Amino acid sequence: MDVVAPPLTEARHGALTEAPAEALAAAPTAGSADVAPTAGSADVVARLRGLDVSLERNGVRSQILHGVDLEIGRGEIVGIVGESGSGKSVMSMAMLGLLPPSSRPRIDGSLEVAGLDLRTASAQQLREARRRRLGVVFQDPMTSLNPTMHVGTQVAEKAGSAQEAIRLMRAVGIPQPERRYRSYPHELSGGLRQRVMIAMAIAGDPELVVADEPTTALDVTVQAQVLTLLAGMRDQLGCSIVLITHDLGVAAQIADRIAVMYRGRIVETGTTRQVLESPRHPYTRGLLGSRLSLDSDRSRPLWALPAETPGAVLTGCPFASRCRDVVDACHTDVPALRAASAPDDAEGPHLAACLRQAELEAVESAHDRLPPLPPLPAAQRGAPLVQAADLECAFQVRDERGRKARLSALRGVTLDLQPGESVAIVGESGSGKSTLLRVAGQLEKRYTGALRGPQGADVQMVFQDAGSSLTPWLTIREVLHERLPRRTPTAAKEEQALAILDRVGLPATVLDALPGELSGGQRQRVALARATIVPPKVLLCDEPTSALDVSVAANVLNLINQLRRDLGIAVMFVTHDLAVARIIGDRIAVMYLGRIVEVGRAEDVIATPRHPYTRNLVAAVPQPGRTVLPLAGEPASALDPPTGCAFHPRCPVALPECASTVVGVQLAAVGDRPTNDVTLRHEVACVRRGEF
Amino acid sequence: MADVLVPAGPPPAPTGGGPAPALSPARSPGLSPGLSPGPAPRWRLTRRQGGSGADSKARRIGDWALIGLLVLVTVIAVLAPALAPHDPVQPIAVPKLPPFTDLDHILGSDQIGRDTLSRVLVGLRTSWLLALVVTAVGLLVGTIVGLVAGMFGGWVDALLMRTTEVFLALPSMLVAVAVAAALGPGLFNTFLAVIVVWWPYYARIIRGEVRGIMARPHVEAARMAGVGRMRVMWRHVLPGVVPTAVITASLDIGNVVMVLASLSFLGMGQPAPAPELGSDTSRGLVEILDAWWIPLVPGLVVMLLSLLSNLAGDAVRNRLAHRR
Repeated sequence: MDVVAPPLTEARHGALTEAPAEALAAAPTAGSADVAPTAGSADVVARLRGLDVSLERNGVRSQILHGVDLEIGRGEIVGIVGESGSGKSVMSMAMLGLLPPSSRPRIDGSLEVAGLDLRTASAQQLREARRRRLGVVFQDPMTSLNPTMHVGTQVAEKAGSAQEAIRLMRAVGIPQPERRYRSYPHELSGGLRQRVMIAMAIAGDPELVVADEPTTALDVTVQAQVLTLLAGMRDQLGCSIVLITHDLGVAAQIADRIAVMYRGRIVETGTTRQVLESPRHPYTRGLLGSRLSLDSDRSRPLWALPAETPGAVLTGCPFASRCRDVVDACHTDVPALRAASAPDDAEGPHLAACLRQAELEAVESAHDRLPPLPPLPAAQRGAPLVQAADLECAFQVRDERGRKARLSALRGVTLDLQPGESVAIVGESGSGKSTLLRVAGQLEKRYTGALRGPQGADVQMVFQDAGSSLTPWLTIREVLHERLPRRTPTAAKEEQALAILDRVGLPATVLDALPGELSGGQRQRVALARATIVPPKVLLCDEPTSALDVSVAANVLNLINQLRRDLGIAVMFVTHDLAVARIIGDRIAVMYLGRIVEVGRAEDVIATPRHPYTRNLVAAVPQPGRTVLPLAGEPASALDPPTGCAFHPRCPVALPECASTVVGVQLAAVGDRPTNDVTLRHEVACVRRGEF
Repeated sequence: MADVLVPAGPPPAPTGGGPAPALSPARSPGLSPGLSPGPAPRWRLTRRQGGSGADSKARRIGDWALIGLLVLVTVIAVLAPALAPHDPVQPIAVPKLPPFTDLDHILGSDQIGRDTLSRVLVGLRTSWLLALVVTAVGLLVGTIVGLVAGMFGGWVDALLMRTTEVFLALPSMLVAVAVAAALGPGLFNTFLAVIVVWWPYYARIIRGEVRGIMARPHVEAARMAGVGRMRVMWRHVLPGVVPTAVITASLDIGNVVMVLASLSFLGMGQPAPAPELGSDTSRGLVEILDAWWIPLVPGLVVMLLSLLSNLAGDAVRNRLAHRR
């Protein structure tokens, strides 16, 4: 069933449209994959034609989707890609009939899913369809599973029986499903919870599974597992999957076709190869260009799509205000989707909604036109600015059964930071990377070990969620002014505030705004302005870009790199994304379960990873055109870390002594640079030192 | 992830047989924990589940009407001595005159011939203004205690909150009666008696709210930015507590009216000739078979005042909740 469905013919549409809705209610029960409501619709599972959706918020109605056309063939995986606000989630909710009634959705056009016209279907029919023909996987399995029920019971609700639930849980790769059946969601790891969601989604052999950002909340190695699982489910069950994601790289991993959405419109659609290799719409090209990969050019600022102009005129092409190839005609007409490839292309139609799609193919990549970054000021060698030796940090917590337990967040971390240097700390959730940052910022005082470094205002921090790190009721002016000495005259304060806003690329009007009135990227810029209005010696960054869209994130990363050069500050940057770490960090330190397992110059760590865990991290970065081989197993629990090398239970090259030997990272300098200069050394905490 | 539409709570169980998704917190009665300043409102926060109870125009008008009425009552209370047609303590009419019989004494007169309208107006002034003062002072004390306990935590928190709990553990009406009885009758003593039992509620609520705000990253970020302790308390924490404090107080003020009237009814208000709604009701009670309007009029005014302040408190909460 894993054959890509051919494009539909008009005759088939007709057959589907006329399918009586009652046929659904009478359809046979779950378990039979070959059920089809009517004979003619066997090739199409969902058909959206000219779909307009508008929702009401605070009494104001706004149109979210504009004439969306989409067909999903049987057994096909369609990736829907777009930034936040593109309407991709509204579309998925509409396809499930789950638009909240409180926002009074108004739907025009045709919306047929699993042989049911969702615009006219009764609640009973909808329920029946969701039970038997549809499946859904949400982004955050913690909030979308019922915390008061056993996960098995929840799967059984859809599967019909406990035996079937256990079979499904085994099918999605949950170890010991009989035991896990009686677990509550909070007792499972993020990856296992998402597997439970997938088990629920595929219960009853649905025709269509909608996966809304199914891997966004997961670590990169687990993300690879879940994507592989989704593709495998399609191969085994023949169900279609709508994969909604903001990351073209994720969609590229498993999707057969990709539809790129912008401002409620599909702007480009085609097979994955067509969209990735010959993108025709400037937005798609922009998304691909803004995407960070492990070989992005580090010597230049990152290229990024220009930010959306607020209050831009909404006539014509919605992308016109951000498009660098815009012509006058773009402001008058909304371009329709037109064929971008030869009509007899064997792969299927490739459509793009751009007036200039034919000419743009040859345009050079904008990336090359950016001037190179100024070189970093020569780092002063010798006395490190921050010196952490053998840091340990443990918390008293309660484990999943409510018993008291000791969570070792840091288990002996030694790390130096030179003045003006930037170190990126990479790790999955639970690796202790954020705790290390909080200890360095003196926000966490319950640690043992030696820590020497600047204190107070010389250490500044930028948080992951800029929205919640800015006090909601203080204007940006107050936030900036309060960083300055109290006796400074107001005029001087104002002058400095304006100067720093200019430096971070914000207009002076922002001063009177409240954080809630700014966009995510602007808030992160304000957070950076607050941190650097009085230049600190060390800037600590806790995943400042992980909540931002790719183009916004690229701009924030550029800004951090720029501030670093202009102000000569050292940066400690925590991230889960190796590609981001490579852009920011002179050095990269990889953490696993409270220990640094590898540290070295960014190029060295990415190009020649010496620790098996780093190798897996590098391999798991989703990149178009590369198959990801997921690492088996779950990250071990920090409540009960394995003995010896914490990675040995998952390690493909573990030796027997790995279970008992703890290798300190500083003991095992590797590579061709066994130098005394700490910033050039490549060190690894592995008994095999990368020799395998 | 920041798409406009975020599914709230667990997904509807596919069978439709699962438990209903949790209602939005703003639905819960009373102190509405959902009002803590959260991230930018999402669909699920701006709208309550069920759709029909949304912020309709009629409701908005109704809310403002109730708030306006309460403001009117306050104005009347302030101007009562000027508005009262007669001296409230001098007998000037036929005793036990029924209401609406004499245009000069429209609400009639009491057992010794004092004008009921004048007595009710001045009594209203005492009751309502005292209720406002008690609420304001209780809120002030409670906010200070709650803020300090919530911000400093540790033994300070333990000490303040255990003390608060001692007060909460005592039956409030009995303590108020005991305090009033011990101090003797009089306006100030009544005030003290009610304050003693009233602030702990506010302290408890504010402390919880402060703990919630302290856990938010912006407080940590402010500390990191080198903002002093007092300024963190004053500018980064306190403003976040204000909406909860206002809502709590506005829902509560009706109860204060009732407690004040009860104390006065039990004879622990102002001494005899002074007009007071509670004591007038209780003194007139002996006449209920003979001249029912004498206890009924001040009693009804207490009831209406309490009802109105409760409804207006609800309205204040609705308005504040919808502003977010």
